[in-house]
Amino acid sequence: MNWLFALYFVLNTAVAVALAPLLMGVVKKVKAWAQGRRGQPLLQPYYNLAKLLRKETVVSSNASWVTRATPYLSISVLIVATLSVPLLFLPGKTSAFGNVILFFYLLALANFFMALTGLDGGSTFGGMGSSREMSLSAILEPLVLLTFLTLAFVFKTFDIFGIVGTTSQAGIFSVDPVLILLGAAFFVIIVAETARLPVDNPETHLELTMVHEAMVLEHSGKHLALMETAHAIKQLLLMALFINIFLPFGFATQPTAASVALSLLSFLAKSIILAAAIGLFESSVAKLRLYRVPGFYAVGTFLVVLTIILEVFR
Amino acid sequence: MVDPLFEEMGKVVPEGLLKGSWEGKDGAIYLPLPEDAFGGVIKGFVEKGLVLVGLFCEEGFREGERFTLLYVFEKRGYERLVVLLRGLGEGRASSVARDFPSASWYEREITDGFGIAFPDGPDGRPLFLHECYPDGFHPLRKSQARPREAQKRTAYAFKEVTGEGVYQIPVGPVHAGIIEPGHFRFSVIGETVLALEIRMFFKHRGIEKLAEGKTSEEGVLFAEAISGDESAANSTAFCECAERIAGTRLPARAQHLRTVLLELERMYSHLGDLAGMAVDVAYPVGASPFLVLREELLRQNRALTGSRFLKGAIVPGGLRRDLPREALAALGAYLPSFMERFVEAAKGIRSTPLVIDRYAGTGIVRRELVKPLNLSGPIARACDVRIDTRADHPYGLYAAMRLTPRLQQDGDVLARFEVKAEEVLASATIILQLLERLPDGPVRTRCASKNGYALALVEAPRGQSMHYLHLRNGTIVRYKVRTASFCNWQAIEHAVPGNIVPDFPLINKSMNLSYAGTDL
Repeated sequence: MNWLFALYFVLNTAVAVALAPLLMGVVKKVKAWAQGRRGQPLLQPYYNLAKLLRKETVVSSNASWVTRATPYLSISVLIVATLSVPLLFLPGKTSAFGNVILFFYLLALANFFMALTGLDGGSTFGGMGSSREMSLSAILEPLVLLTFLTLAFVFKTFDIFGIVGTTSQAGIFSVDPVLILLGAAFFVIIVAETARLPVDNPETHLELTMVHEAMVLEHSGKHLALMETAHAIKQLLLMALFINIFLPFGFATQPTAASVALSLLSFLAKSIILAAAIGLFESSVAKLRLYRVPGFYAVGTFLVVLTIILEVFR
Repeated sequence: MVDPLFEEMGKVVPEGLLKGSWEGKDGAIYLPLPEDAFGGVIKGFVEKGLVLVGLFCEEGFREGERFTLLYVFEKRGYERLVVLLRGLGEGRASSVARDFPSASWYEREITDGFGIAFPDGPDGRPLFLHECYPDGFHPLRKSQARPREAQKRTAYAFKEVTGEGVYQIPVGPVHAGIIEPGHFRFSVIGETVLALEIRMFFKHRGIEKLAEGKTSEEGVLFAEAISGDESAANSTAFCECAERIAGTRLPARAQHLRTVLLELERMYSHLGDLAGMAVDVAYPVGASPFLVLREELLRQNRALTGSRFLKGAIVPGGLRRDLPREALAALGAYLPSFMERFVEAAKGIRSTPLVIDRYAGTGIVRRELVKPLNLSGPIARACDVRIDTRADHPYGLYAAMRLTPRLQQDGDVLARFEVKAEEVLASATIILQLLERLPDGPVRTRCASKNGYALALVEAPRGQSMHYLHLRNGTIVRYKVRTASFCNWQAIEHAVPGNIVPDFPLINKSMNLSYAGTDL
């Protein structure tokens, strides 16, 4: 490990953790504006986390070690996952962290434990959320895998660092315009993985319709703060992956101070714009009937298959 | 008498008994029946297709009987009601719930309140007395003392569906949002609901008992507290009872202004539902125009009456005070633009396929349920049943208006959305017409406190509300309220099975049943 990787480790993680709640706030603000409301302050997610960290943590008497361990496990797994997605610059040519499969299964690991805690508390809604989450992730998985296999096919590598390296050097359009289709599919993945409309409603208070919220319903205080931060980081990472593959302009090609600073600014701007786009998208749709969610995933899958056909038979 | 309803009844009630009937101050036919003739008359009423709109008990209604059961019937197409009086010598009676299913809740309510048993009833569980009340406690008896201590009775037995893969989801009475308390017990397989049972009365306030011993001036305050967004309807019903007993005729201006308030209430109440349905399918962008309009109406309410929820305005004999002329003029100027924006807001929902997909075919209430369960209001009109108390049993100004109920065919969430949307516009039109020809004059007349009893039916936003008031020596001896929600809640148990669990909140919201209106 050289100094560059150490710097990458510190900077990448710090930026991810620091910015993640902001993007949550941006989405909420845009949604409020779309409804004609003033909305909460942009920094409200930070205030919420600060409040939760000071609050008492209550754990169900039915809960086992799983409930106690999951918040720490989730945040650790997500922080490890931040290493897979370069936000500002690339630490070197290759790194085992950049493996696409590793990245997605780290997210799956956190998800798996979250589903376990949903069951663990013994409450009705947690179990319902877990069962829905597991069914929906099983349906989403082919889309995720196909998308990344296609990326791997186009870029001839499974390494996120390698992919980002290529796109940031050349720009996505010079690699292949067909990848715009893939970008749309990736957007479906972001919406689904971050439990947003039309798949799940992050703002609902209706226990019976919840998916993600139902699983974290039993968490409180510090545990809830950790779960929410982990969720925010997950959203940021998926967005960053989207940005760095499909909108790579401004990404630091050389790890110099000036270009990294520029890269930070451009990432900030692009992620806020993407978060606003997600907020607008959410505002324009209603929640799908639960059984119609696979249809939404199928739209993404269709785009991926189209990309494959175009790439393979060009 | 050559009353057509009387003639109709002559076909099922023996001649001799019919002679013992009298016309009440409310225009209803009161018919006392001996126990041996009761069963036969009930069978006749079933055949004639009468609907049981209310059933309640009063202690000391007539000399020589401790308890009297009052069965209130309507025959669709006739304005007057028929009230069967059934005197009870002992604390038990036979049930009519197999002929009139809506009676099941009424009979359980009477068992709790008065200790009268219906041993052959289909459901012997307590209704509003939850487990914490001691055995033998019957709060509506005149002699009943307050319970000394809470007591743990046997747990309430829900009707559960069992089988492989079937599980129960208990929801409430404490919910994740700011909602009133109610318990919903789902029996579910996968996501599909097999059966739903509801349990209410977690916020039972004892309004009927509290009103006893009060004057009618004081009583109207209890009436408007029954349900927050139906205060004008309930206080009007209470006042109708008091005015019928006293034989008061309201000044024309009071009649007009009361009707304005009643229709304003319907508008803002429906607007809340229309917004709520969009929120429950997670389409807040479609909901917010409705919420904005609702808020504007609440501000109109405040300018008119000083209360956003129209409280304190309606009193026996008319209105507490005249509504400010500037506020009335402002309302008249506001409504045309309201209607335009409302049409736009409704278009916003209708033109969103994802929302329509959620609404259509969800939570169907079947037409056949309307009569046996005595469903009323937008729920009934959404399954093509032409009932509206304003047209069927007109009160106040409605007698002269000849309203045509707005109907839809399908009985699903979409049909209820459309009925409510059309009713908002219809109400706005009514208000505009009333404001145009608003007569001058006093808004209040003396409503003397006479001895007597009367029934009144009104069309609250949620449907028909039935009030019964009995005054003696200037104070209330019995006040009984049956709001639309009391009957309509039972419709949800039939509308939900077959749907999936995440659609329940939407179905619930489309019916917008009142917890407070049930948990008197």
